[in-house]
Amino acid sequence: MTQGRDADVSTIKAQPVGSPTRDQDREWTSLEAIEVTKRYGDVAALAGFSLTVARGEIVGLVGHNGAGKTTFVEVVSGLIRPDSGVVLIDGRPPAQARGQIGISPQHIALYPPITVREHLRLFGGIAGLRRQALRTEIDDLATGLHLTGFLDRPAGVLSGGQQRRTQAAVALIHRPSLLLLDEPTAGADPETRQALLNVVKQRAGEGAAIIYTTHYLNELTDLQATIAVARRGRIIARGSSAELLEGLPGEVRVAFADEVVQVSTTDPTTALVELLKGTDRQVESVELRRPDLDDLYHSLAVTDVD
Amino acid sequence: MSTDAFRRTGLLVRHNAVLRLRDPAQLISYIALPMVLMLVLKPLYEEALDGGTLQAVTGPLVMFSVFALSIVGNSILVEREWRTWDRLRASRAGRVELLLGKTGPVLVLLLLQQAVLFTFGCLVVGLPLPRPSAVGYLALAVGIWGLTLLAVGAALATVVRSRGELSVASDLGAIMVSALGGALVPVSLMPGWAQHIAPISPGYWAMSMLRAAVDSDPAGMLRPALVCLGIALVAGGLASWRLARGWGRSRLM
Repeated sequence: MTQGRDADVSTIKAQPVGSPTRDQDREWTSLEAIEVTKRYGDVAALAGFSLTVARGEIVGLVGHNGAGKTTFVEVVSGLIRPDSGVVLIDGRPPAQARGQIGISPQHIALYPPITVREHLRLFGGIAGLRRQALRTEIDDLATGLHLTGFLDRPAGVLSGGQQRRTQAAVALIHRPSLLLLDEPTAGADPETRQALLNVVKQRAGEGAAIIYTTHYLNELTDLQATIAVARRGRIIARGSSAELLEGLPGEVRVAFADEVVQVSTTDPTTALVELLKGTDRQVESVELRRPDLDDLYHSLAVTDVD
Repeated sequence: MSTDAFRRTGLLVRHNAVLRLRDPAQLISYIALPMVLMLVLKPLYEEALDGGTLQAVTGPLVMFSVFALSIVGNSILVEREWRTWDRLRASRAGRVELLLGKTGPVLVLLLLQQAVLFTFGCLVVGLPLPRPSAVGYLALAVGIWGLTLLAVGAALATVVRSRGELSVASDLGAIMVSALGGALVPVSLMPGWAQHIAPISPGYWAMSMLRAAVDSDPAGMLRPALVCLGIALVAGGLASWRLARGWGRSRLM
């Protein structure tokens, strides 16, 4: 198990809380969040949340509802101020790095009366894109996210999947160096999901740092993301899926003619051999299930809901 | 303001103007209805009052300009409903740019409403055309009253919790403010107790300011203008603070 795997974050030269300064000699990772806290009354939404994301890295942020994922995204995007801790984007606090951030919020946040193209022109223009560059980006995103057919339709008349893609396009239009995608495929159909995953992979390949929160763990496998597990406002584990799954129990299920035997074990192969050794019973079927990300999620997060 | 900031502000002004223009029903009704009221009330006021035509024009004008608070409120409230305000706050646009972009087009609409109604009052209802010297005072009075309405409407939109609350606050507020301020019945004809408390209504000061402007009376304009600007400053400060800070998830609608 990888409890506290993100402890290496603490080796980062931390700045005094609330007063980060630039260190010109250092090569900054795209995002560094160190011991961030945020309370809402009695509730600690973030309780020492630390996370780093390098350029070109996709970090899949998982955890049960209320684990602090969205609050963390809001802090990083500069929408809310943390009570303490340091957040640096390429060495700068969020308020000074907003042009580098692209955010796709958890909920649909679009203007129903204006068209997809107008959304992209507005947010691209605010980010500093001019005429031809803006047109090129709109065309690229329209192709990549399958928006071409409804670019000139108001957002309010689009289907849920089309709105999801538009929402993502708004986040991507200015080619941000840090992408914050908060459950970008929630409720989306398979086509929307795949289109979005492809674009996310492409942007990571171009060097963007990406935080991707989701409850769909197979998406993180597809994205080959580093996985960070949040619980009670902290990151409790971080690593590749193989690292995180190491030590998790799998299952062996053997159906004999007169009985079904099911064993949960970290070494399913040995367990299977043991089950079959020396038996003269007729075996009707054998199932061997290795642990997957869902098991990890359940073991670390869901089971912890109070 | 840098060139980039100026450009971003222009984009936001254009964006918000487009949003307003695609939902013009409120503005149209708040221009058309007072025109009808002016024509209907004119004979009554002329019979009852010296300077009845002035009351017939300025009364509905002030009353429906207060109703237009809901235009200001709605323009901000929809950003909360659509969850788009945070999206803008997370963009490169700064606080001042966002506020100017949001309020600029609405202020223009408020000024347009009053300008159209004054023009209608002069050309159709029979209000004597203001002397050239009064035009500047009138523009100033309309501008100050527009700013006051903008600030109060914006402040209202940042504290209400639903469209229903905004509707109740702006409708009741408009009737209270305009009735108490003398927009329906001149203050001099109201009961003694009502005359006594009339100055607590911003509408009272708006009416005083507009009348003084029509009479080219800068001294008479000064006090009401200062009161209106004071209200605008307090309400505008509250609105700016709330808009810059956002609402967070606890205040999503």
